[in-house]
Amino acid sequence: MIIGTWHFLHFTLTINKIHQPQRFKIHTNIIMKKNITKLWFRGFSGLVVCLALLTNLTNLLAYSSAPLADVTITGTVSEKDENGKISPVPGVAVREKGTKNGVAANGNGQYSIKVKNGATLVFSAIGFLPQEIKITNQSIIDVVLETDSKSLDEVVVTGYQKIDRANFTGAAVKLKTDDIKIPGTIDVGRMLEGRAAGVSVQNVSGTFGTAPKIRIRGATSISGENKPLWVIDGVVLEDVVNISNDDLSSGNANTLLGSAVAGLNSDDIESFQILKDASATALYGARAMNGVVVITTKKGRIQAPTVSYTANMAFTLRPSYDDYNIMNSNEQMGVYAELERKGWLTYSDVSRRANTGVYGKMYDLVSTYDPNTKQFGLSNTPEVRSNFLQRYAQVNTDWFKLLFKNSLTQEHSLSITAGTDAAQYYFSTSIYDDNGWTIADNVRRYTATMRANYKLSDKLSLGFTTVGSIREQRTPGSQDRVNNAYQGRYDRDFDLNPFSYALNTSRALTAYDENGNLEYFKRDFAPFNIIKESETNFLNLGQLDLKFQVEGQYKFNKHLTYDVVGTIRQVQSTRENNTYENSNQANAYRAADNATVKQANKFLYRDPDNPEAEPVVVLPYGGIYKRNEDKLVNYYGRHQLNWNNTFKQDHSVNVLLGQEVKFANRQESNSTGYGYQFDKGGIPFTDYRIIKQGLESNFNYFSLQNTRDRFVAFFSNASYAYRGKYIFNGTARVDGSNQLGKATSARYLPTWNVSGSWNVKEEPFLKDNDLISRLSFRGTYGLTASIGKAKNSTAIFTNAVTNRPYLGEKESVIDISNLENSELTWEKQYETNVGFDLGLFNNRVSIVVDAYQRKGFDLIGLIKTSGIGGEFFKNANYADMKSQGIDIGLSATVVNYKDLTWKTSFNYGFNKNEITTLKSLPLIYDLIKPEGGAQQGYAVRGIFTIDFRGLNEKGIPTFTNELGEKSTIVDVQSQETKYLKYEGPRDPTYFGGWSNTFNYKGWSLNAFVSFQGGNKVKLDPKFDQSYTDLTASPKEFSNRWIVPGDEAITNIPSIIDRRTQASFESGEFPYTAYNLSSARVANGDFARLKNVSLGYTVPIAVVKRLGLKGLSIKASASNLLLLYSDKKLYGQDPEFFGSGGVALPISKQISFSLKASI
Amino acid sequence: MKKILIYLLTFSLFTLTGCDKYLDTVPDNRTDINTPGKISELLVHAYPTANYSAFCELMSDNTSDNYVGSAPSQIYGKPYLWEDVLQLDQDSPQLYWSACYASIAAANQALESIKLLGGGKELNPQKGEALVARAYCHFMLVNLFSKFYDAASAATDAGIPYVTEVEKVVIKKYDRKTVAFVYDMIEKDLLEGLPLLSDQSYKVAAYHFNINAANAFASRFYLYKKNYDKVIEYATKVAGSGGFAQNMRNWNSDYSMKSFTEISFVYSQITEKSNLLLCETGSFWGRYWAGQKYGLNSNLGRTLYFGANPSGGALAYSLFGSERGVYLPKYNEYFVRVTANANIGNGYNMIPLFQTEEVLFNRAEAYVYKGDAAGALGDLNTFLSLRIKSYSPALHNLTITKNNAFYSTGNSGGALLQTILDYRRREFMHEGMRWFDILRYKIPVTHNTLASDGKSSTITLAADDKRKVLQIPQEVSLSGLTQNPR
Repeated sequence: MIIGTWHFLHFTLTINKIHQPQRFKIHTNIIMKKNITKLWFRGFSGLVVCLALLTNLTNLLAYSSAPLADVTITGTVSEKDENGKISPVPGVAVREKGTKNGVAANGNGQYSIKVKNGATLVFSAIGFLPQEIKITNQSIIDVVLETDSKSLDEVVVTGYQKIDRANFTGAAVKLKTDDIKIPGTIDVGRMLEGRAAGVSVQNVSGTFGTAPKIRIRGATSISGENKPLWVIDGVVLEDVVNISNDDLSSGNANTLLGSAVAGLNSDDIESFQILKDASATALYGARAMNGVVVITTKKGRIQAPTVSYTANMAFTLRPSYDDYNIMNSNEQMGVYAELERKGWLTYSDVSRRANTGVYGKMYDLVSTYDPNTKQFGLSNTPEVRSNFLQRYAQVNTDWFKLLFKNSLTQEHSLSITAGTDAAQYYFSTSIYDDNGWTIADNVRRYTATMRANYKLSDKLSLGFTTVGSIREQRTPGSQDRVNNAYQGRYDRDFDLNPFSYALNTSRALTAYDENGNLEYFKRDFAPFNIIKESETNFLNLGQLDLKFQVEGQYKFNKHLTYDVVGTIRQVQSTRENNTYENSNQANAYRAADNATVKQANKFLYRDPDNPEAEPVVVLPYGGIYKRNEDKLVNYYGRHQLNWNNTFKQDHSVNVLLGQEVKFANRQESNSTGYGYQFDKGGIPFTDYRIIKQGLESNFNYFSLQNTRDRFVAFFSNASYAYRGKYIFNGTARVDGSNQLGKATSARYLPTWNVSGSWNVKEEPFLKDNDLISRLSFRGTYGLTASIGKAKNSTAIFTNAVTNRPYLGEKESVIDISNLENSELTWEKQYETNVGFDLGLFNNRVSIVVDAYQRKGFDLIGLIKTSGIGGEFFKNANYADMKSQGIDIGLSATVVNYKDLTWKTSFNYGFNKNEITTLKSLPLIYDLIKPEGGAQQGYAVRGIFTIDFRGLNEKGIPTFTNELGEKSTIVDVQSQETKYLKYEGPRDPTYFGGWSNTFNYKGWSLNAFVSFQGGNKVKLDPKFDQSYTDLTASPKEFSNRWIVPGDEAITNIPSIIDRRTQASFESGEFPYTAYNLSSARVANGDFARLKNVSLGYTVPIAVVKRLGLKGLSIKASASNLLLLYSDKKLYGQDPEFFGSGGVALPISKQISFSLKASI
Repeated sequence: MKKILIYLLTFSLFTLTGCDKYLDTVPDNRTDINTPGKISELLVHAYPTANYSAFCELMSDNTSDNYVGSAPSQIYGKPYLWEDVLQLDQDSPQLYWSACYASIAAANQALESIKLLGGGKELNPQKGEALVARAYCHFMLVNLFSKFYDAASAATDAGIPYVTEVEKVVIKKYDRKTVAFVYDMIEKDLLEGLPLLSDQSYKVAAYHFNINAANAFASRFYLYKKNYDKVIEYATKVAGSGGFAQNMRNWNSDYSMKSFTEISFVYSQITEKSNLLLCETGSFWGRYWAGQKYGLNSNLGRTLYFGANPSGGALAYSLFGSERGVYLPKYNEYFVRVTANANIGNGYNMIPLFQTEEVLFNRAEAYVYKGDAAGALGDLNTFLSLRIKSYSPALHNLTITKNNAFYSTGNSGGALLQTILDYRRREFMHEGMRWFDILRYKIPVTHNTLASDGKSSTITLAADDKRKVLQIPQEVSLSGLTQNPR
């Protein structure tokens, strides 16, 4: 019988007459089926009012009835495991529904409760479905609880402990692989983009093996790495090489080893747990300042052997010039014509250049005399020359088409699980094959996992895991970039990056001549064709990663358990730069056509003992074979004792004590072989002088670097819960590391943390509230830390060789690289976190909100001292910073109607940081880099620019220089930075994602948008004071300054003529400064349609007919488009740094996947 | 169960005690200074790796404003105007300051390591080198960054911190004390170190304080301190039994046969015996010493090298250049690229810190003050024998009469000093040595400046100008020091 309807919420109160006529029972039942959308819109305010009303009403009604006769009920609560074995469950809460009356079952699952006859008993425990039993004159009620598979997700895995969500006091987010996996996205780090509040992922490079820039709750260190810790099955995953956050975007070959998780098969991963605050990460102590991502991999289950097969086929789409504003060949030749008028592309200019295009070719022909035909290659008349150039004006070369492919990547993964009560196995293997988005790259990765778990007795269980991966990768040959602080830019020689090449090479240049043969232009005085070069100058990367892990658990009794885990891991990776004899790079060593080239070619050898001699070629034959090896040897061991008990049914206590030890040796070596003849059976032909040249220039032809990481820790944790309502938690830990140097003063660091939570839901006034299914408040305060980059607790002496020109005068020298810093300590941070979890309508809607504040201190910052000690600049614990932010996670099942469900989840993180103390005196150049710079009072990485003041009467950009004056000269080496303009932080201040999934019968449609912003990015450096006939000009050039007066209407600088450029003073680089000025900044905000997918799960009946256990297919498209980004970017990806080398942006992909299990 | 717990506990305790040893592992490829050989290697950089030539030369009267235009950069411009260079880069006074103190730190570390290794006799050569090098660095600092030594005021003039211990905290407090104190400390270190030196202990002796170089240093030190007996004593040790001539540059019959490039290569090589002590310096002076806006003017160059000199002969120096400035081929930049393929890198100049010629001049000057004109003439004639074209003792040897006549004076002592200073100036052109003569003799300097319209005006540095004392870095306030008055 419906007795009432509130106008803002539709619900019914049903009164059931039961056995005793004088007693009635009320069910509150909210009708959501029809009115759920209305409910949504009415939001929170209505909810709160409703909550209060309901609570009062139910209480009122419950207490208004007269008391009944008491009966005592006893019984045992037990569970049934996968094998049907029944065992008692201790600690189960047994209560009388609708009252405050309740008890907990004892250690043997037995309980006894006095209730009123006719009442309903509710049995509940975490991990089990609650059960209600009505009392109808029984006195013994035994129940068997069913495990709640959904509720098992409500366990937080910290790597050290598994804690019930309800008892967890920290901030953490759990993600399931199935929910976040995007087919074609191989690196699991990238899968986190936009998935968890407070976790920002920036794809600074999309090449396989490179790491995205992942930050959990923003940066915590000014000079350190800011990388979260990856933990796999309880063991920290060590990086193969340490790459700083700023270097992730460098495009250097070592970034290919940047991702710690590149060897992980995502199909092996069960779930991710992201630990964000000090309480969640407390057990990681002094390494957890940047948060922790805990990965739990799949295990064998008790079941008959099941084979699962997953296949993904992804088509990677080639980029297109439509997305970028690059001039076509006709427009480009127009620019060249202007260059020629301005004295640039003249014979005398071009013939001396190391790099030339069509003009260079023209002049070469003009000056080449063929004795056979008795003619010059091209007659030097304006008509002939114009004709020659005409061809190139019309070619409109599509470099993207030539260098990129609509390629196919495949991923096949097979896993088998099987198990009995005593032994469970999981086996998986996978292959990932990418035949290359560009003509210069491809990847293949194989993985295999074997995992066995044994239950030797009720007390002892053991687990063994072997994980291995093999990687074979090819990328364009790549040299490391060089920081050219003098001009304020990065230089990279012999860059073959196809993406950079396509964007920076003139479309008037051709790859093939009229006859379809490769056409060469000039680079470093030698013939160059990118297609040929990609074939003859490339990098091969091979990596072998193998890990063994052993776990053991011994249960002394039901209160005390002992766990031990040990890991051995080795990673060997080799990078081979193969430069063939006929490659441009090798030929550059041989370019000595005439005296001008000989003088200008830096690769030729100048003999110091014979100063007047002409430079000579020292690589007469063969190419260059350069080999880099990175090796990691890692051991890890941990053991811990865990004790828990419940006293008087109300007080549960858990105590953990443990120790761990880590050993990691890294070795990095490289050697360069000159004169290796790849195509002559691999016989080296080395001119000794090339070695001599190297030594005289202070380059060694080989090197070996060893680093050793030793780490020990002692940890303890205690928690106390009162009736599951009030939970107190404390952790203390001492870490010891050798990384700060030998002095014992800095070696150890204690960290601690206290936290608590209040499960409001357990309070009587909410206990029976059906609207609010979960409500808890959490709070944390604690100290976390990390090791900064300074390692000089004792003085650091490094060996070197003196910089003297003659080999006979060189000496070995020991430098004091860093003086002792007896005050050196770890970087530390106090963190406060408050948050609440709210679940509504049986957790159909769940809201998690956390707010935090962090105060970093003792951070390593560079300070300039008096220099009297002998070290002008010191890295010392002299910097502080603060940050604050809020994380909001919201998920809801919006529609749940028969076959149709609509689930939505949204997360949003906001983080703002500020350097409060930093005594360094950065140069202008340190601040204006695209990666941003650090300065007191600003964000950890702030985007600073030189203030652009418009063009002058010659169309040359002017700026506010270091003296505060308007000028074309800015001394980027100056320490006077107060005239720079602060644009905003480099890292996004807000970021998140929104995912929607619609399920109808077997169909599933998902759309996922990720977004971030609040930051600034620098536009690609496109302007220069001199251009060559290779330059690709952006379309903005059409609006450039052309005649005096234009400075009033345009900010695009002119192409300057040769004479003006010659009159530039030394140190005058207005065009480089323009690239770094306020005119070349855009907002970093963007929203990306990250993924859209449509899946279909074949109905079980059909599947069975096929002889399978399950079958599903899915089609998806990822990175399809940027829904929003600043128009000033003109197609430039706001995440990606076009730094060349091995860096490629993330690509658009269309993929199809299939999942089947037998 | 208890048993197992006890096992666990003992295991834990065991690992606890083992852990300090475990954490003693060095994290990287750093070195421990634990052998005499390593102390020697540490001392390779006990010599300042920065070049004082640029700013000293630009401040001196060797340079002029040669043409309308702007200077290559502040570093090669401001010293000419006697303005403080705030930039910290190659060839800046600040870098020289820090390089000297970095070398002092290396010396102090060596001394500390010697103590740790027991300080036995076998370590004497290293100890000697560390002490002398430490003295040298402080000596250069105090001469440039404090008021030049003047016995009358040295006890009150602010010195520079004399550092004898390795710094172990981030920011340490120091005291400038007085110039007299610094000079006393230099003398103490020098005299303690000198007898311990051994030429046999060096791999490349010319880059270390070999005995000759240390004696040369002593002769300069006592010259600045005006203790002329000691100058003669130490200079004579350098001359040895064979005299100075055997260890001098030969401009009139060797260098004069060589090309520009050849001279510049040989000038700072260890094979040139004149180079008593060479030093590796990070510097771009090898690009800016010649043909720049501020540099040796062609008129002045012609006067100095082709004009009359007291000997009556023609000087054999090879002078190059144009109307925009002239120069001697002294620098051969050693350019170390940052990577094998890079276009950018760091420039190095090997510069002679002590040369035989200087010791010769030091002794000649001391002879003059001691009233030994014959002694002074003897040394000067040795010098002329290697500098005058087609040298003939009868024609070119200097006598008191000839010298007095050249200056038309009867003050033979004064005339001799003038001759010595003038030859010194020519000999050490571009090398910054002239600045120290200007400081010693309180010579005022006048520089011309050309405005953009070509108008010339002059600026003057008075004899006792405050700007003659270089400014020390602003950051010294962190260490409790005050900067020089301006």
